[in-house]
Amino acid sequence: MISEPIHDLEHLEPTAGRIPLTAPDVRPLLGWIVPPLIALLIAAVAIEVWVRLADVSVWVMPRPTGVIENFFTDFGRYFHEGLKTLGVSLGGLAIGTAAATLLAAGVAHSQVLERAVLPIAIMVKVTPVVALIPLFIIWMGHGWNPKIAIAALITYFPVLINAIAGFRDVDPRMHDYFRSVDASTWEIFRHLRLPAAVPYLFASLKISVTLSLIGAVVAEFFLSGQGGLGAVIWIEQNNLRLEQVFAAVLMLTLIGVTLSTAVVVAERLFSWRLDQPVTAS
Amino acid sequence: MIKHPIEPDAEPAVRLADIRLTYETKQGALLEAVHPTSLTIRAGEFTALVGPSGCGKTSLLRMIAGLTPPSGGAVSIFGQTPKEAQRHKRLGLVFQEPALLAWRSVEDNVRLGLQLNPRETHSSTNVGELIEIVGLSGFERYRPAELSGGMQQRAALARALAIDPPLLLLDEPFAALDEITREQMRYELQRLWSVSHDPRDPPRSAVFVTHSVAEAVAIADRVLVMSPRPGRIIADIPIVTPRPRRPEHEHSDRFINDTAIVRAALRSPTTPAVPLDAA
Repeated sequence: MISEPIHDLEHLEPTAGRIPLTAPDVRPLLGWIVPPLIALLIAAVAIEVWVRLADVSVWVMPRPTGVIENFFTDFGRYFHEGLKTLGVSLGGLAIGTAAATLLAAGVAHSQVLERAVLPIAIMVKVTPVVALIPLFIIWMGHGWNPKIAIAALITYFPVLINAIAGFRDVDPRMHDYFRSVDASTWEIFRHLRLPAAVPYLFASLKISVTLSLIGAVVAEFFLSGQGGLGAVIWIEQNNLRLEQVFAAVLMLTLIGVTLSTAVVVAERLFSWRLDQPVTAS
Repeated sequence: MIKHPIEPDAEPAVRLADIRLTYETKQGALLEAVHPTSLTIRAGEFTALVGPSGCGKTSLLRMIAGLTPPSGGAVSIFGQTPKEAQRHKRLGLVFQEPALLAWRSVEDNVRLGLQLNPRETHSSTNVGELIEIVGLSGFERYRPAELSGGMQQRAALARALAIDPPLLLLDEPFAALDEITREQMRYELQRLWSVSHDPRDPPRSAVFVTHSVAEAVAIADRVLVMSPRPGRIIADIPIVTPRPRRPEHEHSDRFINDTAIVRAALRSPTTPAVPLDAA
């Protein structure tokens, strides 16, 4: 042997972009979860003390204990409405991500398409798309469609921009190698561009998963007739029932944390599976 | 699948007829990268291409590989165009950077050339055996990032050899390695050059681009010296030392004499009087 093999893989520094092949040890995670929980608890206690001592009106700031109590007594309602918001958010995310990835694949292969699409993409990117909700209601009525459309539109552009960058971020030498064995455009896409884009797609998914939730909630403010946590917040603030408003926000936080965690877990599970050999021989 | 047999004596491995390469700079000026060059490389010949940095060695290699279209002239690989040679998987490319797929194991990287363009798959290749031959046994499931630079380059060599190409094209494959590894890898390459070979093909040929005179003299049958830009071949020096060659040979009078001839050619009047990096 000329180069000494590296026997002690346990002590190798993690390399950028490397994904562990085995399930990660969860114990170090506790070190990341416990401190913020304690900080949150201290903040809640501080607010509780302040509200009680200063006798703050319940129409201005409810007591954290009151919010928690309401959250659990009325849990069925928040859970049910939360599922509606989650549905809008995930529906929009799926449609937006799929459409953006497909268009990005086209743009990555065609300069004409890039020149046609990118300026518009940037124009729409700098426009707050929630401003389009009233229009979407006119076009699509008062059902689920305008809400999903907004969630899709708001997630579309971060995915599009990142996916284009990912599909293009290929080692030019590697591209030369593929050409040297006469690989087809599809083979180059499937075995080079798509796996190269996976980290980019997950990075954009981390952004767009929370954006889709924003889109869903804002749309529900406008369409409070069909429910959802946005509608709950809108209706309860009209009634000046701030405990319910905070409880709905708490449920939104839980949904946001769950979605973001799901993306991180999916990244670990999925990214190393994507480019398994097609044939075994 | 169908392998296209080549008539052993019918065609040279590479034939270049007046190929040249000119670029247009951003200012609109024409820049000649490779001066019209004609060249024949016989089947079975290991040819080294040396020259100062930026002389067009890599451009010449890329034109042979069909990766850069020449501005004029014709390239023929065993009587075929470079595009046909690509289609029939006749070219084994190795670059300065290992250029492995980071998300694939060593084994799957080596298999890549067999997997792509499957109409031309050489079913006879035993990937496990090839990995053993390049000295990576036990590292089949490792990712490139877990290997040293020398081991990565061995994987890249195995990948190039997996499709059993009659022509190896190597673009400074050891330039990014440390000196000790680099000196050992040239003898590894000499050994690997002829392995896993289909008897129906002509003996394997190689075009090896390097800026190291010692590397060129140590492994090649023939050293072509290129002038600075616009690059053209200014000397064609045969190296007749029998094979297999060993590292000790680098201390022999014959080796020292051959390197002196190549260095003299590099310093010939057409080249500017700058010290050449002769490794």
